[in-house]
Amino acid sequence: MKNKLPSRRKFLKLGVAAGASALFVGGSNMLSALTNNDPKETGEKVKVLTQDGKLVDVDKGHLCCPPVSNKEARQGIPDKKMVMVIDLAKCRNARKCLQGCQSMHMLPPHMEWIKFYLMRDTEDQAPYWFPKPCLHCNNPPCVKVCPVGATFKRTDGIVLIDNDRCIGCKFCMAACPYSSRVFNWEEPKLPKVAHKQPYSPETSTPPKIGTVSKCDFCPDMVRKGELPACVKSCPNGVFYYGDKNEDAVTNGTDTVLFSELLESRAAYRFMEELGTEPSVYYLPAVDRAFDYKTGFEGLSEDEIALYKKEAKITE
Amino acid sequence: MNEDEKTQQNLIAFKPQLEKISKKGIALIVFLSLVILFGLYCLYIQDTKGHIVTGMRDNVVWGLYIVNFIFFIGISYAGALISGILHLLRVPWRTPIIRMAEMITVISTLIGPGYILLCIGRLDRLPNLLLFGRIQSPIIWDVIAITTYLSGSIIFLYLATIRDLAILRDNPVKVAKWRNPIYRFMSVRYKDTTKQKELLNVVTDLLSIVIIPLAILVHSVLAWIFGMTLRPGWHSTIFAPYFVIAAVYSGTGVLIMVMWVFRKVYHLESHITKIHFNYLAIIMIVLGALYGYFTFSEYLTSWYGSIKWDMEVLYRLFNPDQYFLQFVFAVFIGVMVPIIIVTVPRFRNINSIAFAAVIAVFALWVKRYLIIIPTLESPLLPIHDLRPEFVHYSATWVEWSLTFAGIALFVLLFYLFSKFVPIIPIVRTGEEKDYSRLRKVVFENQMKKVIKKNKKSDMISTGIILLLMLVSVPCAMAQDETRIKTVLKLEYFHVDSAQNLTATLQAKVEGRYLPLQGMEIGFKFLQGSTEKSMGTAMTNEQGNVTFSFPDDILATKGDKGVYSFTASFSGKDNYDKASASATMKPLRMEISFSQKGQDKMIDLKAFEPGKKVDEWVPVDKLDIQFYVPRTFSLLKVGKGTITNGTTSLEFPTSIPGNQLGYLTIVAKVEENEIYGNVEVSGTINWGKPLPLTKIIKRGLGDTDAPLWMVYTLIVLLSVVWFHYMYVIFTVFRIRHLGKS
Repeated sequence: MKNKLPSRRKFLKLGVAAGASALFVGGSNMLSALTNNDPKETGEKVKVLTQDGKLVDVDKGHLCCPPVSNKEARQGIPDKKMVMVIDLAKCRNARKCLQGCQSMHMLPPHMEWIKFYLMRDTEDQAPYWFPKPCLHCNNPPCVKVCPVGATFKRTDGIVLIDNDRCIGCKFCMAACPYSSRVFNWEEPKLPKVAHKQPYSPETSTPPKIGTVSKCDFCPDMVRKGELPACVKSCPNGVFYYGDKNEDAVTNGTDTVLFSELLESRAAYRFMEELGTEPSVYYLPAVDRAFDYKTGFEGLSEDEIALYKKEAKITE
Repeated sequence: MNEDEKTQQNLIAFKPQLEKISKKGIALIVFLSLVILFGLYCLYIQDTKGHIVTGMRDNVVWGLYIVNFIFFIGISYAGALISGILHLLRVPWRTPIIRMAEMITVISTLIGPGYILLCIGRLDRLPNLLLFGRIQSPIIWDVIAITTYLSGSIIFLYLATIRDLAILRDNPVKVAKWRNPIYRFMSVRYKDTTKQKELLNVVTDLLSIVIIPLAILVHSVLAWIFGMTLRPGWHSTIFAPYFVIAAVYSGTGVLIMVMWVFRKVYHLESHITKIHFNYLAIIMIVLGALYGYFTFSEYLTSWYGSIKWDMEVLYRLFNPDQYFLQFVFAVFIGVMVPIIIVTVPRFRNINSIAFAAVIAVFALWVKRYLIIIPTLESPLLPIHDLRPEFVHYSATWVEWSLTFAGIALFVLLFYLFSKFVPIIPIVRTGEEKDYSRLRKVVFENQMKKVIKKNKKSDMISTGIILLLMLVSVPCAMAQDETRIKTVLKLEYFHVDSAQNLTATLQAKVEGRYLPLQGMEIGFKFLQGSTEKSMGTAMTNEQGNVTFSFPDDILATKGDKGVYSFTASFSGKDNYDKASASATMKPLRMEISFSQKGQDKMIDLKAFEPGKKVDEWVPVDKLDIQFYVPRTFSLLKVGKGTITNGTTSLEFPTSIPGNQLGYLTIVAKVEENEIYGNVEVSGTINWGKPLPLTKIIKRGLGDTDAPLWMVYTLIVLLSVVWFHYMYVIFTVFRIRHLGKS
């Protein structure tokens, strides 16, 4: 909220145009889909660009995401290729992204879709914080091994799980080299409203016992033209998210050219040598905004000790 | 059928086994049944409470079950080895042990897959394997391979039993007579005629040829479940042959154990002799040596290469606090002890060979544990978890109970089967000589925790909860005399032709501003000194209300072209009242695109009201920002200053548009003191065209499998199942021949 307030004003100013841009590419596809539903009209008009470059006024209520079918959820949002850029120089392990993620996806406290590592390979180097969501690989080892196609790679680059199809064999968990996947070991205890909520692979809620789950890149939010929970929650603007096809990523406050950001900051992909081709890019922790020790705030002593051990810090 | 003297002797010797069950036998059946029933109870617990009852967690996703799975599929090799290779090579001493070997194969192939089912979180969704099966997945390979192997093994066991079934048909059992019709039906009128004999021999040979490569494939596929992942200690080309060798090694060991047990229980000393133990022991140690060689090669390679993650697994295996003792037992004692026992003549006797076999089998079980657990405990990224059970695997009583239930089921099925057909074939095949003389949190808490955590730092969720409380319980709040301060903001937006006012209402709670929903905001238009009400509107969930007003309001010109608006909130319940005002001067902007030679330009013109009615004059010194709309936000592409009513910017041709290259340019005046927020947009196909979406290919990660995989599978399955069909067809021919 703190960081959201100034951006809200900005958002309002941008609101109309941003909404239109959500449909900028392939707008005609969505327009035809929109007319089939019975949307609530809000009276607020939004401009939508059609395939042949015409601007059309559409009611905002028509835009806001009719529930997607399982087939649509498996295909992906047309003409998009979602990417994330994580700026390691700005991360201080505040874990707001995780909190935002957990409340959005109704996750129990221990179920972490974003994990935090304190990285340091040798004692000669300096430690830095490393948040890791699912990397949404373009060559995903998890998708390859799924026996029933419950986890799949979409055309927009997002790797999702269909918890209505997953048989819980955990092969994808064993196959994922990044430990991105978690399992619902017991019946998830959810508020009553959550049970009434219809399940969709795009929302990943409500979670289901005996199935695998992981970071889903918030495709439901993308459809609304909104940013994922982690991007919105980060107080330091660590996460940039966007459509590679549009060559733009944003962290909520700044919108930058994706190609330029990668070039100017010497971005890399995590464990490129595995050939998994992640959709998440990291910006090296050069000129860190915070001392790594600020990341220990609010952590238990045991956890601090564990981080120190992992980063080979002897103090 | 004709019975020779030897067959008669065997029949007399073995028939009591079929007809009598000793008290010890009944006690054994009851005991084993109880162990199995307890296992079923554990399965019920696991299925209702979820896999939380096992020791498996997010990192060690597989545990004892998969270890038992590999173990049982491994010992099923006994049948493939003995019945396949020994049969084809016409090894004369194989006959007395051939049925035991085949029974081990069938029973363990039945039990093994049971353990992989225990690893599955949703047993109710098993049909999905058939409905949505992807042949790119090694699990599907396994399902196909194991069912095919099991079918073949059952047929093979049956073929090798037909002769005895015929004997039993001709000499009906006197106890449990319900079995006699089964013997009669299953013996397919086999009368040992020359033609029947010939047909049976041909199909037995044929099946033993098919079963050998099939068995190798089954265990390779099993190894590939692990080998195909990018895990240290698993991702190794040696894995398939390594698993095959380890499997035959343990299979031979189990066969020796079974031989030893039945030899004692059924007093088969004259049939299973030292020579059988000796020969099998030699095969076992050769396999043991090969297993040792493969192990050495595997660990030497990974140690010498010393990749970080490989070293982590090796560190676990060689660390005395972790798996060192088990490792020594599995790869050192498990190889050396059997070799010493068998090679040193002094140590070599039936009991010591049986002991060597026990060591080998147990070592191999431990080895499978060491293949699975240490690797899963060594992910590429460290396991950052404070819960010990998520870091180190330790099997629970549920897993152990089910492990023992599997072993009990193995023994029980074996015992019951030995009561149905003789454990040793009664009818001896022609080429055999008489050797008798030689002889397997809670969401509410989370919410509480989030609230708790938020008290420390983040107020988002707390704010939302508080707000919900404030909005939903106004009555309760009304009694509270605390007044809540509110803030109202008013901004003017002019987007293309649409003009509107946006008011944002916020309440100051605990030092933070939170949006107020469902509050009525009144809008007024100031003309000179007179106020004119434009209407009211309610705030949305973000505390916003946007008021669009018709052009004719602006057409009525105010003083010097300047307009004033006010928005007011009259207060509600204990929210204080608030008001805000905005003053603006209309600004008309026009965007156009022009091309001069190679230069593509964005041209922007801006006008403001002049002194006369309907007169617009060019603006000067006004900052303009240029943007391109993207999915989530506006991407800034440049800025300019209006001079004498115009400004130009080079078109950003490098920015992707849609598939036809259409790109929208938004020009904005932001938070200007005189003009407010004015924006205008235009679209042209000068952007970088977006490449067309690629057609979905047949890849490992796609829904459809690569064609070579489909063809390979079809060819392999056709070949094997064609042979099965041929064998079954021949059995019917044998039955038909028996009519005459």
